[in-house]
Amino acid sequence: MSEKYRFDTMSLHSGHVPDKETGSRAVPIYQTTSYVFKDTDEAAALYNMEVGGHLYTRISNPTIATLEQRLASLDGGVSCVACSSGMAAMHLVVTAICSNGDHIVASNKMYGANINLLQHTMTRFGIETEFVNPNNLEEIEKAIKPNTKLVFGEVIGNPGLDVMNVPEVAKICKKKNVPLAIDATFNTPFLMKPISHGANIVIHSLTKWIGGHGIAIGGAVINGGNFDWGNKEKFPTISGPHFAMNGISFWEEFGPSALTAKIRAEGMYNFGPSLSPNNAFYILQGIETLSLRMKKHIENTKMMLEFLKENEAVSWLRHPDLENHPDHKIAKKILPLGSGSIIVFGIKGGRDAGKAFIENVKLSSHLANVGDAKTLLIHPGSTTHSHLSSEAMKMSGLTDDMIRLSVGLEDIEDIKIDFEKGFKAAAKILSKRS
Amino acid sequence: MYKDFKGNKVYFSTGGLNLVNDKETLCFVHGAGQNHYSFTQQIRYFVSQGYNVVAPDFPSHGFSEGNQTTSIEEDMLWLAELLAFLKIEKATFIGHSQGCLTILELAEKKPELVMGLVFVAGAMSIPVNDFLIDTSINNPEKAYDFMVTWGQDSYGSFSISDWPGHNHLAEGNAVMKMNDPSVLSTDLKSCNLYENGKQAASKININCLAVLAKFDMMTPLKKGLQMVENIKQCDYKILECGHFLPIEKPKELNALIKNYLISLK
Ligand SMILES: Cc1ncc(COP(=O)(O)O)c(C=O)c1O
Repeated sequence: MSEKYRFDTMSLHSGHVPDKETGSRAVPIYQTTSYVFKDTDEAAALYNMEVGGHLYTRISNPTIATLEQRLASLDGGVSCVACSSGMAAMHLVVTAICSNGDHIVASNKMYGANINLLQHTMTRFGIETEFVNPNNLEEIEKAIKPNTKLVFGEVIGNPGLDVMNVPEVAKICKKKNVPLAIDATFNTPFLMKPISHGANIVIHSLTKWIGGHGIAIGGAVINGGNFDWGNKEKFPTISGPHFAMNGISFWEEFGPSALTAKIRAEGMYNFGPSLSPNNAFYILQGIETLSLRMKKHIENTKMMLEFLKENEAVSWLRHPDLENHPDHKIAKKILPLGSGSIIVFGIKGGRDAGKAFIENVKLSSHLANVGDAKTLLIHPGSTTHSHLSSEAMKMSGLTDDMIRLSVGLEDIEDIKIDFEKGFKAAAKILSKRS
Repeated sequence: MYKDFKGNKVYFSTGGLNLVNDKETLCFVHGAGQNHYSFTQQIRYFVSQGYNVVAPDFPSHGFSEGNQTTSIEEDMLWLAELLAFLKIEKATFIGHSQGCLTILELAEKKPELVMGLVFVAGAMSIPVNDFLIDTSINNPEKAYDFMVTWGQDSYGSFSISDWPGHNHLAEGNAVMKMNDPSVLSTDLKSCNLYENGKQAASKININCLAVLAKFDMMTPLKKGLQMVENIKQCDYKILECGHFLPIEKPKELNALIKNYLISLK
């Protein structure tokens, strides 16, 4: 990978130098919808994507472009499109590559909305998905059919924390000439860069660790530029003539960046999931401290794991850095700096104990997000999945005693004290019952 | 556009349009280890300015098959034959880096084909150091890294780009990886061998344009200026960027080429 600067330097500088006109050191927020054309020639060239530049913020914007260029450089991609959310990023990838009659192979251990999009929404448009165990290489290879156009998975699955063996899956995809798209939200490029392990496309929910402060929803698609889209029968809308721009072939005109060009010219243009320039700015501020934060997230996670391991109230504990995790070996190999800052654990006493725990912690916030600087918790059994019986929860890979913890950047001693209060309340439920 | 040419499948970009007889033709000639994607931001721009554009992938480069040429003289002959095959009688040639050597040679040996010449980040000779040649033989991907990182000034290195979301370094690398691994070393050796540049330059009798890069570490500015001095009539402009000028300063380059084309009329 060609890089002149190292990760921390790129986190601060990629995509921006001090503004030529004003000297502004910070990335200016270009809060504008549109851009005055110099002349009709320039306008035509921009519409036609003959040269770079901005014409309308739904398609591109200078503040957002800085974010995109920074993300592309951090993940080692050739180009990037930022968008309104992680889900928008996923949708952009699927719709850029697949059409009615196409097939996707995806991990069955992914974030619920990722699964829903493929299982329930895309099927309505004739795109079928076969869900596979992300670490059963044989199953993945077998599931790939002649009409399979995409293989999709998460490096660290949400919420089960299964770790996909990205380098091995990438080898299968290469052999079968199918692009591999990876949701890298839980690892961020600081912990692992899927493209350098052979993946072709990376998506991020920027809402999480990359933005890092729980203040802006955003997403991104990063194009590795390492996939050959030249098969016109297989990828007709990327390498064949496209309705946009007089029937050009994105592959012949844009080569490594063909997918990005297609996402911009079709996905951003026609679906319009644009990020706001203000949110791009917030996320850029987050990226400036990404490595500092990730180091502390990992450090705190280690201490939290030790604490929970010892704790009487905890019935089971799951994190890929623990030796008893089924994917521990893979995690050690591809996530040597640590496997992220989500921990899941069971609380003795089941659903009611979980509820009592959640209701009695104060510093840790009970909410539906991960990757904030603040410690976050959720108890699916009493919230997102409260309508399901214990058995039904088990069927979707969850248990009613399960707590998902997103370890924040607080002084971890304070979080431990906070947890003790929650555990005490949970223990009361348990002792009442026995 | 793909064609069978000299028994091989050959690709040349026309910006997505068919070539039309009564339009002027611009022929973009890529550099060492590159292909038509060096000119992504020129090709379709000049097509919509009303020109025929031919930007070939030389044999073994990009989408073109066939045995790679091993000297600038062979590059020139291959190009001249391709144009004859396409029934193009005259064109303005825009060369980048090694492509400049090819079009210098063409200007001397096939002057009847040449309407105009634009030298981008070029020189009359491009000696290549042994270290880069050795690396390109033993570890081509490492050599791509060197070239791409040497080839951008700090703007490019920080992925500063007019083209929203693009990261030049990785993109330059990906373009080079599209070629067969042996391509770069063969090209670099062709550059190293070529000695006729000075003589070819001195014989040029038309108005030329050189667009040079101030921070060029591959074909240093000083060498570009020597070429300008050796050509009877050569305007030049120096842009603040590195060797991969068509990617780093596309708008500036396009405007200069556009004005030059007007001046030829
Ligand atoms: C792994 C993963 N991918 C994608 C998303 C969707 O991101 P967003 O909420 O930004 O749409 C999430 C959100 O929780 C997630 O955890």
